Amino acid sequence: MKKLFFIIAAFFSLGVKGQELFVFTEPASNMPAKSLGVRDMNAFMFEKDGKLNYHNMPELMWGINKKWMVHVQGFISNRQEGGLEAEGGSLYAKYRFLSKDAIQSHFRMAAYGRYSLNRADIHQQEIETMGHNTGYETGLIATQLLHKVAISSSISYERALDNKPAYKFPETESNSAVNYTLSVGKLMLPKVYKDYKQTNMNLMLELLGQRLNDNGKSYLDIAPSVQFIINSQARIDIGYRQELYSTMKRTAPNGIVLKFEYTFFNVFK
Amino acid sequence: MKKILISSIILFASVIANAQITKAELTATGLTCSMCSKATYKQLTSIPEVEKVETDLNKTAFILYFKNGSTVNPGNLKKKVDDAGFSVGELVVVFNFNNQKAENNSSFIQDNITYTFMDTKTGVLAGEVKVQILDKGFVVEKEYKKLSKLVKQYPSYATINNNLYHIKTL
Repeated sequence: MKKLFFIIAAFFSLGVKGQELFVFTEPASNMPAKSLGVRDMNAFMFEKDGKLNYHNMPELMWGINKKWMVHVQGFISNRQEGGLEAEGGSLYAKYRFLSKDAIQSHFRMAAYGRYSLNRADIHQQEIETMGHNTGYETGLIATQLLHKVAISSSISYERALDNKPAYKFPETESNSAVNYTLSVGKLMLPKVYKDYKQTNMNLMLELLGQRLNDNGKSYLDIAPSVQFIINSQARIDIGYRQELYSTMKRTAPNGIVLKFEYTFFNVFK
Repeated sequence: MKKILISSIILFASVIANAQITKAELTATGLTCSMCSKATYKQLTSIPEVEKVETDLNKTAFILYFKNGSTVNPGNLKKKVDDAGFSVGELVVVFNFNNQKAENNSSFIQDNITYTFMDTKTGVLAGEVKVQILDKGFVVEKEYKKLSKLVKQYPSYATINNNLYHIKTL
């Protein structure tokens, strides 16, 4: 724990510029209204027996107006026998209900919900509606951008349902959980902005935790990442997720995440 | 009743002017990153009356040049910044005046929009003059709170309307 504090302290002392387009969590801010975002997330997770789990999650994001945005996402993985397979999808909506803007700073709060379908087998105690469980998640996010350092935190309730048609959620396991996250981000480059073509580099550090409601089992992960924003429009994220501790059964908690994103501005009138 | 009275006073006191907005300097708040700035830039360039937008990324400021003879409503500029996900911290517009009298609480109408002078220097304005929009959502919150205290002196400041703005010469 001391080590963790040291890492976070070192991270903060590196500089003063920050960003909030986090790799493992969503900020309370929305994407611009009338714009369309395309994202592809690739996760390479190491199973404890040495097998590599590959998850591909293509995503479409739409900024409806300044308060609402929605995502549609598909889940593809190689976890099942017979190679890559489409296992499910999800619908995500976020509503920004508080926005306090000042010069180069803001505080925002948002509420969000996700509903996911998945037909893969249920293989762990961890509940994850992004790519593993059928179910829903609903939560609150608060994001502060202050003197160019971004800090974001979220808390959510997640409920797992049966992975229909073949896999019932085991009655002996906890089917609900509380998730909590803390993310910090910082803009490292450029030092001085000249134009939109400059590549931005952000460093991020995120803590991701879950506690199962019925048995009190929990985990906490740390996820550092580096992000490049090209031409102020395209995003490349490289992240690594590492379990700090866990008292629950998880199949493949550690691994590398590669994300690509592109924003099409003003697509809708 | 008071409202009607105030608006009719404004109406009678206003003169239809020939004072075109040629340029605007807009500072957006709530952002630092170039992606956020670009989102705002893209929104502003989508306004049909806008000919060109110049940016100062470090100050998150945008200079908008309008097409000749176009009708500009400051509310439309604000809406575009809101849509990008941010706020207007300051909006200065450049009017091309034709001997316009400036005096507190006096008004003029341009393109069906009433502009009322507030907290301004008295004088006659000619040629290109920079004026700041003082209404809610066009200044930072602190500034708005300060200006709200002047509402007794400027009763129309309490009305928030897409066709009524309060301006101050710079």
